[in-house]
Amino acid sequence: MSRYDRQSFLGPNSDSVISDILVGFVGAGGGNSHTVQQYAHIGGRRAVIVDPDIIEDTNLNRLVGGTIADVHASRHKVDIAYRVISGVVNDHEVTVRKTDWQSAMADLKGCDVIIGGVDSVVAKDQLDDFCKRYCIPYIDMGMDVHPHGEHFQIAGQVVLTSPGGPCLRCLNVIKPEDLVREHENYGAAGSKPQVVWPNGVLASTAIGLLVQLITPWHANTKLTQYLEYDGNAHTMRVSQRLQVLRFDGCPHHPKDGVGDHRFDIRNLPPPLGDR
Amino acid sequence: MKTTLKIPAPLLQTVRTDLARRHAFAYERVGFMTAGACWQTDGTLLLVAAGYASVEDEHYERNTRVGAAIGASAFRRALQTAYASGKALLHVHSHGRQGLPSFSRVDLTSGSQFVPSFFSTIPKMPHGMLVLSDTHATGLVWHRADERPVYFSRIVEVGASLKTIGGAP
Repeated sequence: MSRYDRQSFLGPNSDSVISDILVGFVGAGGGNSHTVQQYAHIGGRRAVIVDPDIIEDTNLNRLVGGTIADVHASRHKVDIAYRVISGVVNDHEVTVRKTDWQSAMADLKGCDVIIGGVDSVVAKDQLDDFCKRYCIPYIDMGMDVHPHGEHFQIAGQVVLTSPGGPCLRCLNVIKPEDLVREHENYGAAGSKPQVVWPNGVLASTAIGLLVQLITPWHANTKLTQYLEYDGNAHTMRVSQRLQVLRFDGCPHHPKDGVGDHRFDIRNLPPPLGDR
Repeated sequence: MKTTLKIPAPLLQTVRTDLARRHAFAYERVGFMTAGACWQTDGTLLLVAAGYASVEDEHYERNTRVGAAIGASAFRRALQTAYASGKALLHVHSHGRQGLPSFSRVDLTSGSQFVPSFFSTIPKMPHGMLVLSDTHATGLVWHRADERPVYFSRIVEVGASLKTIGGAP
């Protein structure tokens, strides 16, 4: 019996499809620490993982795979993610970039799918735009905790956007007022409450969407998914916004806005380090 | 040099629907896809399909030796569309049926004449030709006008599922 026999219902070639796919993970904190771990367990071995941050003690409440020793060693979050994948998969091809994702665009252009685990709405908006430009399905995760009377409401969403379909702005996941508010705050998303179990639910759903994209095990796959998480009721359901959306082309991403603006085939591709 | 082509599924559906329409006298239809481009870090050239320009009925010419013959004005119009947005231009037609399609000898001969001419208008972009089946695709890309074309190493339909629908034969 091989390691992947129990997921063979994903298709006769699912092992090689999952093995060949290149997934970008933007952010290696709470959300993507889960997705990276699950990606490795399903057999994913090719990844680009981007995050400039070093783990701190305050991350240990939610960063799966992180340890006290990592905090003492001031280890980068991407190195922890790398360790998680390399601990499960032998012949992995994992690129880690200890930088903002904007500085890792060249690495991310070649990804088949990108999973975003970023707090900032500006970053979500820009990542979605980037993915439209290079024809990459984008899976976005987000969670928040809102005051609810004397108590709290945990909420979140997992959204899949695809080229040719509605974007995060069309779906109202990105609202203009949120972008303005964050810009006025100099791009800082603020220190939002984060806990491990909602991140785990959202990340598991994101990996489900990823697997559904590359090795669909049923016929009801969709170009766009918008799933809302109610962390108090412990439910995940299709957003009403998606159900009522009348989509007649995305006004935020012109169809011609694909590829590099200054591309010129007469120029040879730049050396690896300069891209 | 490896070259990948990515096509959004809704756009590919538009292309297939257009090419499946019957013409009054032409045996098959043709069209033009535009595409943006970038380099990937491994040196692969990535083309991303952007749009599709259908060829209007009156631009077909009667010719019993080929499935579809179109006039210079159809090429000119397609080139204008690609030039205006600085895109690559891909000539597209369909052989129908299932499975990986192949170019006919006529396709290869005519393509080797008209595709290099695209570089006169848009020298900064690669150009090429695609043949579709109802399920798959095969394509040739010219990186320069005076070089031999190469097959797309991978053609991917990006939609509700990610499908590799073509590669080098």
